[in-house]
Amino acid sequence: MTFISIEFLLFFAIIVFTYYLIPHRLRWILLLAASYIFYAILSIQFIPLLLASTALTYFTGIIIEKQETKKQKKKVMLVGISVLLFFLGWFKYFNFVNDSLRAIAKYMNWNYTVPYQEIVLPLAISFYTFQAVGYLVDIYYGKQKAERHYGYFSIFFAFFPQLVAGPIERARKLLPQFKVEHSLNYENLNYGMKRIAWGFFKKTLIADRLAPIVSSVFDSPNPTGSQIVLATILFSVQLFADFSACSDIAIGCARMLGINLTENFKQPHFAVSISDFWSRWHITLSTWLRDYIFFPLCKGKKKRSEIYLAIVITFLVSGIWHGAAWTFVLWGLIHGFYRVFGDYTKHFREKVASFIQLDRSPVLHKWVKIAITFLLVCFSRVFFRSDSVTHAFENAQLFLTINSWRPSGIVKAFEIFPLLDLVIFVFFFIIVQLFQYIERKNASTWKWLAQRSIFARFAFYIFIIVSVLIFGVSGNGFVYGGF
Amino acid sequence: MRFIREPLSNFSKRSTVLKGFAMGHLFIKLTIIVTVVLLLFMPVNNFVKHSYDYNINHAILAFKKHPYPVDIINLGASHSMYGYYFKPTGLSHLDLALPAQTIQYDFKLLREYGKYLKPGGVVIVSISQITFANSEAKHIGNYYKVLDRTEIEPFRLIDYYSYLYLPGTNSGSFNSALSGKLKNFKWNSHQPWANNGKNYSGRKYEKVEAQYREAVENNNIQQNVKQLRQIVEYCSEKGYRVILTMEPVHQSYQEYFNEEVMNRLVFQYLKALKLDVPFLNYMRDQRFADNKDYFIDPDHLNREGRKMFSWIVYKDLKKLGYL
Repeated sequence: MTFISIEFLLFFAIIVFTYYLIPHRLRWILLLAASYIFYAILSIQFIPLLLASTALTYFTGIIIEKQETKKQKKKVMLVGISVLLFFLGWFKYFNFVNDSLRAIAKYMNWNYTVPYQEIVLPLAISFYTFQAVGYLVDIYYGKQKAERHYGYFSIFFAFFPQLVAGPIERARKLLPQFKVEHSLNYENLNYGMKRIAWGFFKKTLIADRLAPIVSSVFDSPNPTGSQIVLATILFSVQLFADFSACSDIAIGCARMLGINLTENFKQPHFAVSISDFWSRWHITLSTWLRDYIFFPLCKGKKKRSEIYLAIVITFLVSGIWHGAAWTFVLWGLIHGFYRVFGDYTKHFREKVASFIQLDRSPVLHKWVKIAITFLLVCFSRVFFRSDSVTHAFENAQLFLTINSWRPSGIVKAFEIFPLLDLVIFVFFFIIVQLFQYIERKNASTWKWLAQRSIFARFAFYIFIIVSVLIFGVSGNGFVYGGF
Repeated sequence: MRFIREPLSNFSKRSTVLKGFAMGHLFIKLTIIVTVVLLLFMPVNNFVKHSYDYNINHAILAFKKHPYPVDIINLGASHSMYGYYFKPTGLSHLDLALPAQTIQYDFKLLREYGKYLKPGGVVIVSISQITFANSEAKHIGNYYKVLDRTEIEPFRLIDYYSYLYLPGTNSGSFNSALSGKLKNFKWNSHQPWANNGKNYSGRKYEKVEAQYREAVENNNIQQNVKQLRQIVEYCSEKGYRVILTMEPVHQSYQEYFNEEVMNRLVFQYLKALKLDVPFLNYMRDQRFADNKDYFIDPDHLNREGRKMFSWIVYKDLKKLGYL
């Protein structure tokens, strides 16, 4: 039962109906049962791990709070975090480390006997581990009180709308919301349904329509340079549609239960710099990395080089968090480099813009920055999408070859689509762009829509549902669900 | 106190009334949206329901309703489905081949419909480039009506009912139906005979190679090989006369699927099986190889090709003493 299924919609409808029917004091039981049922349907074998991680974090939090000295608190926190990271490391990174060591041993002619292990990655482990680590650190710093109610804490750990692929929430935001009594609210239901429908729209009409097209190029033994360029750009579109759709559905579902989750995206492909990109893409991870990796690393550091090192390490952690492969490590390093380079050359770039008088036309200047940022992000995604480091470098080389960017080659590369599929995709892509355009001009497209006539609004809602029903492609899981 | 209490209770009542009004409003909105969606969806659903691809199993369905004894049955995927038309030869024939059919479903269909084969009847098991690599039943809906539910793997109740009654919601079915209506709406380079069929054949080759790689990785080949042996043994047990065939393809297709490639994809496994049944390989038959008039596209025969090929098979079966 994934988000994109009739089963999930039925399951969720039952939960919402029951949620508002039962008294508030019983609602946590319903949410917890729903969360565990949802997780069990997707990945029953890892329920014990989820339960163990929950219990560990719960008791560690209380023990941290009970310690008297800062040193003792730190010790307990580190033990708790170490165990959580051990779980994550064992399931997610064991084979990565093992394979890397084996490759080094082979290169050095050493005897290395640790065999490959068949380890299945537990669903959502990266998300709930980070959420748990954040919780323990917040208790240590006194920003968060250890939750005593085991039920509420367990929901915070496994809240089903955001369990699989975020947003990564903070306890201080989520826990109080579970405790407040939410009455049946027209606005919440209305908004929640719209967000869910829009998530379905992006996932089934953009992301899952693009997935096989992108795969056909990246899985091909001999793609052309123009195909790699086009497929990489399309992959960026796919990844955004996929992940933001997942967040839309999570936010929509939570809102229908009266709970506000953090927004995870702010049109990242319209960012004007790499730092701006990271304030718009996977916002909850970016802020998590900022608060729990970057800031502690920068503590007491004043030299520019030390700050830059902290930036690179933070992005390295981001890369490793995404996946246990060298391609992700390289992807993280590339973003670290972008970020450092961007900061280091900021004044120089401003001078260049002034010299060529680009800054006299702010709109053009802004769009040039957007285009450059987007292309830099796309280049990094060659590494994100490629299956191996060898392929990644081959594809990166193709991406950077000037010939790959010949307009005639790019036009020809569109033939990776069946023509009918291309027409359908372009149509829905334009709809999404229009939606985003309205969002950029107004605070919210939904609010803008609310000011239109009832016919216009209904036509749009009906259009979304009919499009998903007829043209929607489903069957692929969420890309970030695999992390 | 009374003064304060009264307005509060009034406020509470008003708020409940407002809430009820808002919910009623939401309910009406949802009802209108659902009704319009249904009204718009119905013609689309009918369009898909009446499309060629959705009814691709119509011959088997018709046979299921009014079965009769048959002389010959052919199994296999689309090459076989477009390959045989025995009516002019006077043989009564049941075509059990469907697009992208896996050998598992060949066996399931044979078990279901083999009982209608006349004593000593012939079963043609068509072997193609994908026979041993194909493991996923991509068009599982084709079997919902022609096989018992217990034979469908994996069987999901929601998929079953939505495929039967709401095929418009299945984007694959809708896409096929739309593509069927817009047959020529393709890039020039994607037309079946563009570049003398080489583009089509090249794309098909890449697809088959990818499928083969996946099958090797997932260890599916041996399962399919085993399944072919089971079919042959089952036929022998039931007294059916079984024959393996490979349908003709166009020259351009042969260039990609040359001897080396076919050995790797098919023949190495077939040889290792050492089956004691004849294998009629027409893949490189010169009567078809360079004649586009017999093909819809480089690997599927058209009506003319089908008729001619069926006569050839009929004569060869006679020579072998099968008929």
